[in-house]
Amino acid sequence: MSPVSRRPRTALVVASFMLLLSAASASAQESVSPPLPDAGTEPDAGADAGSPPETPSGLTPEEMAEIEKAFGGDTQQGVPSTTSAPPTPTPGGGLPLSIPAAGGGTNLLDMSFILDIAAAAFTSKEPLQGGAHDPSRNGFNLQQLELSIGSVVDPYFRFDANLVYSQFGVEIEEAYGTTLALPASLQVRAGQFLTRFGRLNPTHPHAWDFADQPFALSRVFGGEGNRGLGVELSWLTPLPWFVELTGSLTDATGEATARSFLGASNDRVLSPLDLQATGVVKQFFPLTDDLSLMWGLSVATGPNPTGYRNRTDLYGTDVYLRFRPITEASTTLLTFQVEGFYRRRQVPRDVLTDFNGYAQAAWRFSQRWAAAARYEYGTPAKGENGQVAVDPLDPEWTKNRDRVSANVTWWPTEFSRLRLQAARDHAHWRDEADYSLFLALELVTGAHGAHAF
Amino acid sequence: MRPFRFVAALCAALSMLIAVPARAAINVVTTLPDLAALTKAVGGDLVQVQSMALGSQDPHRVDAKPSLALALRNADLLISVGLDLEIGWLPNLQTGSRNPRIQVGNPGFLDASRFVRLLEVPTTKVDRSEGDVHPGGNPHYLYDPRQGAAVAQGIAERLAQLDSKNAATYRANATRFVAELDAARVGWEKRLVGLKGVPVIAFHRTTPYLADWLGFEPIAFLEPKPGIPPNPSHVAQVLVQARQRKARMVLIESYYNDREAKMVANMIPAQVVVLHGGTDFRAGETYIQHINEMVGSLEKVFTAGKGG
Repeated sequence: MSPVSRRPRTALVVASFMLLLSAASASAQESVSPPLPDAGTEPDAGADAGSPPETPSGLTPEEMAEIEKAFGGDTQQGVPSTTSAPPTPTPGGGLPLSIPAAGGGTNLLDMSFILDIAAAAFTSKEPLQGGAHDPSRNGFNLQQLELSIGSVVDPYFRFDANLVYSQFGVEIEEAYGTTLALPASLQVRAGQFLTRFGRLNPTHPHAWDFADQPFALSRVFGGEGNRGLGVELSWLTPLPWFVELTGSLTDATGEATARSFLGASNDRVLSPLDLQATGVVKQFFPLTDDLSLMWGLSVATGPNPTGYRNRTDLYGTDVYLRFRPITEASTTLLTFQVEGFYRRRQVPRDVLTDFNGYAQAAWRFSQRWAAAARYEYGTPAKGENGQVAVDPLDPEWTKNRDRVSANVTWWPTEFSRLRLQAARDHAHWRDEADYSLFLALELVTGAHGAHAF
Repeated sequence: MRPFRFVAALCAALSMLIAVPARAAINVVTTLPDLAALTKAVGGDLVQVQSMALGSQDPHRVDAKPSLALALRNADLLISVGLDLEIGWLPNLQTGSRNPRIQVGNPGFLDASRFVRLLEVPTTKVDRSEGDVHPGGNPHYLYDPRQGAAVAQGIAERLAQLDSKNAATYRANATRFVAELDAARVGWEKRLVGLKGVPVIAFHRTTPYLADWLGFEPIAFLEPKPGIPPNPSHVAQVLVQARQRKARMVLIESYYNDREAKMVANMIPAQVVVLHGGTDFRAGETYIQHINEMVGSLEKVFTAGKGG
């Protein structure tokens, strides 16, 4: 009798365990063997059709281990052997910087300019337009001229920047690198970027359904939206539906970018607690071929300048429904979007809370025409006793404010857009409601940008 | 004894869970269903294929749904049509997938237009006053089965490179598929020999490869410029041209609204032919069945003409 047959159960355990190990190693190794270096300089040269497969099959584990020892593990898996950039022979020099030729394709430098201008009329002498790129005065407004640049840097990084030109200067709205080859579905962004709080904040005016920003964003974050220098880690979870977790640490100063945090004050960073921390969970549900639902939960926390260790916490949720028939010929697109922001601020001897939000619906009823409507709402800040308190950021905001906007958009082509928008802004601390009318023109030239969902 | 049994069961269960993604099959994601059908034809059971867009969708305008990034996350190979057809939606998904294998420039990314004899490559400087032009050439090449055959062979080569153990199988499948496609093509050409030199009106510039293969002559397009919807004065001009040249057909893809096409066809008079924009891969249609169906609808023009 062999020892194995005397102990069938043990044998079963051992066998299962071996199976488990082999399965795990198989899944870890992935079924695709890593490519070998290739000397080509074309973007696709590593994979010329007809070239014989150079990956030796049938390596023994010992040989693989030897290779891994010599070449530093399999963190290199999937990293291409060739890039579109010529190899630099010596670090920091040797080759001059080559500017890619125009029309060189999608994997070189993509540049586009976006111009937003608007004619506006307000009944109020002092319109309550909070967005930095909103039409905000009677007559003509240059909302922005945005230069958007994007490119793959090398196999490990992608580079994106959005520079915004006003009539009086240039600002770096965004300039960040994104990793392309981290393992375990992780991705890091580093540089200056819009935080992923909510649905509208990470997007640019070009992608908005309205000519101006909801006042919820300018009140809570500032006219430019919430952004800052920092670093962000995001993870696409292995769950069977889309669940993305994002966490970022960003600079908490900036009157127009982090006003609920340190805002205009120039407090020195002494610990990580002096930075803004943001956490976001995004989930996506393809309900049918034609109907999709995206749901986000966001939270941000950071210091505020009203006193020692006083903090501001923000909680937000966003829901986005998109109906677009794709199983038949149709140009219909119907979207519904809601965002709410709950803010809690520690101030000397009190805690202020307020709520701001908006809901909007947009209907594209033909290839070139769309109509949209939006309702916005904001409460005054209330103290712990439930009474309206003095808001250090918006002292005049002592009552509710609501605004209703509606617009019609006409696209001559995908690259130009005319938008006529009317709004009734009712700030209850003013005697009467204000009315406004915009006619906005947008032109996009250069590389065809990709649309985010 | 109990713990042993429990551990054994647990290990068995876990190994089954882990073993599912570790299957030998290569996971391929294609942008369009035609490419998915070609991949399935040369990959057979060795590949798992999924198309990001449906055949009923306009390939220029696909929503970059996050669920598509999810599909790309586990892909070993991403195949695209290229020539900027997917430029509005694919790049973000590639970045969002967090999958280094399928980034541009890696063996896990294949631009199928490399295998194609391209048409309408601009020889002069282009800008968008010409409409939404494709500076690399016209991307609607999969309407021509000869290009389909070239792409199938290219896909087989890439699969052979990624999965060298089964290289011979992929190449044999490709040879068999191309032979099958060529045989079918001879039959199709016989059936459509009457199309040679026939003047045709089309909606969008999707016709050059089809025209190059079958020899008909696209004389005008209902879109004044690519991506710009038809307007009355332009349609009037097209109508005049169509009557002068005695156009027999108005061609339109199934993902466009055919209201204008039907109206113009009635006024010429001519037949409307609706081409399915792509293979119905989800329903199990093959590339050969898709082209065959297209040939059938082109053929109807003559049979209807004879009847009337």
